[in-house]
Amino acid sequence: MNDMRIVERDVETNDVKIAAKDVQVHYGDTHAIKDVSVDIEDKTVTAFIGPSGCGKSTFLRCINRMNDTIDVCRVTGDIRIDDQDIYDPKVDPVQLRAKVGMVFQKPNPFPKSIYDNVAYGPRIHGLAKNKSDLDDIVERSLRRGAIWEEVKDRLHAPGTGLSGGQQQRLCIARAVATEPEVLLMDEPCSALDPIATAQVEELIDELRENYSVVIVTHSMQQAARVSQKTAFFHLGNLVEYGETGQIFTNPTDPRTESYITGRIG
Amino acid sequence: MQDQHIASAFDRDLEAIQAQIMKMGGLVENAILEAAISLETRDEERAELVRKGDKAIDALEEMINEEAARVIALRAPTAIDLRLVLSVIKVSANLERIGDYAKNLAKRTSVLSQMAPVNDSAGALRRMAKEVERMLKDALDAYIARDAELAQDVIDRDAEVDQMYNALFREFLTFMMEDPRNITACMHLHFIAKNIERMGDHVTSIAEQVVYLVTGATPDETRQKADKTSLQA
Repeated sequence: MNDMRIVERDVETNDVKIAAKDVQVHYGDTHAIKDVSVDIEDKTVTAFIGPSGCGKSTFLRCINRMNDTIDVCRVTGDIRIDDQDIYDPKVDPVQLRAKVGMVFQKPNPFPKSIYDNVAYGPRIHGLAKNKSDLDDIVERSLRRGAIWEEVKDRLHAPGTGLSGGQQQRLCIARAVATEPEVLLMDEPCSALDPIATAQVEELIDELRENYSVVIVTHSMQQAARVSQKTAFFHLGNLVEYGETGQIFTNPTDPRTESYITGRIG
Repeated sequence: MQDQHIASAFDRDLEAIQAQIMKMGGLVENAILEAAISLETRDEERAELVRKGDKAIDALEEMINEEAARVIALRAPTAIDLRLVLSVIKVSANLERIGDYAKNLAKRTSVLSQMAPVNDSAGALRRMAKEVERMLKDALDAYIARDAELAQDVIDRDAEVDQMYNALFREFLTFMMEDPRNITACMHLHFIAKNIERMGDHVTSIAEQVVYLVTGATPDETRQKADKTSLQA
């Protein structure tokens, strides 16, 4: 009878993509992340939820070493992608970020054409052999970003001229153009209207076929809608990490229950 | 209105719970028919299969309720989607009760097959069960097709089942008055008739859920109790 279950939320693989162990993050004197260990699975959407300042964005930024750019920030512990330590001195953060794409809260297209926005990454990483190859990459990425149909006739118009929702999908297309293996999204829909949000969420669900997606969101409903796994952060601790359906119907930790039912913030 | 959600996964969730309702409905329809046939043919083995089959129906109800809770928690359904999820929970409860009545019918079959038959009452009960099964089939078809008219038709047809029950009630009463040795069998047969009548009420409730799902309002209870036989006796 199990074939009748809602197969939707089944995770097809249990391969661990990102393994974090005993991660601590300090901003100067502030202890922002306290001893977080988590295994994030491949081809899965994992949502990080929690109140403001709980450390979810900080932890997300550890995964592609974005925190390196902050002087007072100190990261200790072990974060591995495909069993490779990403804080190993031999790892080039630029190469790492090609493998671990990121989409931010506010759409931030380059002040260039739509085409160049997407072509930028493949160009600097030398992913295209020639012009037609690059054209293919751009088209494929824009299709994956679910925006191709809307922009195919004006690829050389500036990316900044698009609507907010279109800009965000353009940024997603730009992020997938370098064929990353992991896609990090920090509040990707907070500047979008409900329809654009639904389109981006549908896109996230499709991206799951190829990528491991980690999304930070303030909207618990968004986490519930798009993710297979949910992690709840509170005061720098990872309180609970589990299957999304379980977290939202029967959480094990009382703090998780209080947060998702709107009793603590 | 557009048929599909932008989030296609939401559509798949809703389709999946409706598919489970349909599967449960199929099992229940079959249980009604099989129980009635085993009563008429005095086939204890067949009755036993009905009793065993009820476990699968109960398990489906539990699963449907779990999935409905997940859809509410994860998708926050609104308007027609919310009505669908609410109706799924109620319909599965109705189906589960009908399944229990069919199981009870099968249980009594194994007792009755040890006794002398009472006239053609088993045939009349099977016809009554057949009518209820047809109503259930139509109610489920109406559910999938979002057909409020067909659902209303099912609601109206419950009066016929009530009539059949009242006729049987009188008949059993007469047999018992004629010969006290009939009492044990007639008591069982009466419970069976009453249970089939109750099945009809649950089918009516399913049909009402269809009307609620389609229109957003539950139908008015306009049907009068036409026959007061069972109260006067």
